[in-house]
Amino acid sequence: MPETISSTSPAPALWSELLLRSLAELRELFASSQPQLNPDSTDDFARMFEGGRRLAQMLEDPDSVASRHDLMNALAAIRGYAELLTEDLGAEFADLNEALLRLLKAAQAADSEAGTPSADSSPPQRAITSEPGFILAVDDLQENRELVARYLSRSGHIVVTAASGAEALSTLAETDVDVVLLDLLMPDMDGHEVLRRIKEHPEWRATPVIVISGSQDMEGIIECIEAGADDYLFKPFNPVLLQARIKAGIERKRWHDREEQYREQLERNEKFIRATFGRYLSDEIVTDILERPEGLELGGDLRRVTILMSDIRGFTTLCENLAPAQVVTLINRYLGAMTDIIMAHQGTIDEFIGDAILAVFGAPQRRDDDANRAVDCALAMQAAMDAINVLNRAEGLPEIRTGIALNTGDVIAGNIGSERRSKYGFVGHAMNVTSRIEDKTAGGEILVSDSTLQSLQGTFSTGATREIKMKGINQSIVVHQILGADA
Amino acid sequence: MSNRPILLVEDNELNREMLVRRLKRAGLEIITACDGQEALDLMISEQPSVVLMDMSLPVLDGWTACRMARQDERISQIPIIALTAHAMEEDRRKALQAGCDDYATKPVDFPELLRKIGKLTPS
Repeated sequence: MPETISSTSPAPALWSELLLRSLAELRELFASSQPQLNPDSTDDFARMFEGGRRLAQMLEDPDSVASRHDLMNALAAIRGYAELLTEDLGAEFADLNEALLRLLKAAQAADSEAGTPSADSSPPQRAITSEPGFILAVDDLQENRELVARYLSRSGHIVVTAASGAEALSTLAETDVDVVLLDLLMPDMDGHEVLRRIKEHPEWRATPVIVISGSQDMEGIIECIEAGADDYLFKPFNPVLLQARIKAGIERKRWHDREEQYREQLERNEKFIRATFGRYLSDEIVTDILERPEGLELGGDLRRVTILMSDIRGFTTLCENLAPAQVVTLINRYLGAMTDIIMAHQGTIDEFIGDAILAVFGAPQRRDDDANRAVDCALAMQAAMDAINVLNRAEGLPEIRTGIALNTGDVIAGNIGSERRSKYGFVGHAMNVTSRIEDKTAGGEILVSDSTLQSLQGTFSTGATREIKMKGINQSIVVHQILGADA
Repeated sequence: MSNRPILLVEDNELNREMLVRRLKRAGLEIITACDGQEALDLMISEQPSVVLMDMSLPVLDGWTACRMARQDERISQIPIIALTAHAMEEDRRKALQAGCDDYATKPVDFPELLRKIGKLTPS
């Protein structure tokens, strides 16, 4: 069996194909107009098709053409009945008549070509080579299915056939099909319905569908293309055109498959990143990272960030007078509200240590307004305390007050820990400095370091400035009270 | 045309039926045979006006039947048109040598066949 089909177009060098195609077309037309035909014509059609069947059988297995006589008998029957039918049908069945005339033309070509000894060695004129594909041919007429299967399997495609829309759908459910060749005119579930179901199905949607129409019904074809059909053919179709369209369809499918694979890979990566970062980064930052993967180095890098630390004043003392459940209610209410505010300001929550919150602005994604957002965040946190305390009072819980420290400096950000347990975190002197400032904040107060104040754009109203001596750090630093944002 | 029937000798039933229908439609009376021996018997008993004889026949092939017909004086004058699948000039000669009066290649050009029948059956 040759790797590629060598067919001719439009000259009917492969007369047998032209003839079989015309017969296939006639079978289709016959099927739809049979009820209007008289019994004689119906009989003639049956005999003509019988001749076609015999011819196809002989062509299928070239060794069986033991005698030219048999071949000619089959051709003679086809031609004779076709001529009879054209005499009988005439203008009343214009479609059938035209198809019969096409058949007769093909038969004449067959007659002259099959009559010459070189008939079977007609020169190849145009070959379509394509990657072999898995083709599903859907047609209610067996002869048509066999014809298509013969064309396509000759060029190395694997062809499965379905005799009905329902059968086609169940084949699709079982196998990964590259291209669907879909006859539109079928009983029960017609081609339009099959097309609709394919294009509605999340997994089949991308499978290219080539619709085949028996009549030159452009309107119907346009409808199909609107419904998602990828290509179309009119019967009787040129085998080279069929090959070309199948090839294009297979290529489309392959592209889609590769794209799909790539997309799945990306999705897996995204899932991983969301799972890894989602717990302590706002959605926005995670999305940001995902959109610009090159902007995120997990290896650990030096970054300038603004660090926020907050702490409930006197929390340890408060807890001594509360039941454990009350402590948990109190702290969860507070941390919950604070988390929302920090995330809303695109801060990265590094960790909670008891009632203390450590958050960072500027990692993993640096922005120009990191310091501003950090200060805005701190102001919002303080502003939210009133509402928390209203709830606390209502439940008989003590009111709480928090102190917030902000510092801007360089830290090393990265996945810190061991292989078994690691998290995105920060280390560096600036972290320690922030912690020392935090120690000095009073309830309801926001203290920012000099470096943070200098990083701010716009103006904030500041209160007292003071110098802090810090344990273990051999220098004192200047901090400023932030009272609010200037409108 | 003559009121004697035309004898069609053809073993392929699809073609036989087809030709019978077409010939009848052309106003001719048809009898049929399926092999060479049956053809000879019918030629003797029915004296057809013309014989349309397929050459590849079972039991007794067309070539032989033709030769035998030509040697049998009861039927030696009945014109025979050979129907063959062979379009070669040599086949044509072979058919004429066997005693056929004319020759038509399958698939037959029906109007042409009718002309040939008409020529051989003077009214």
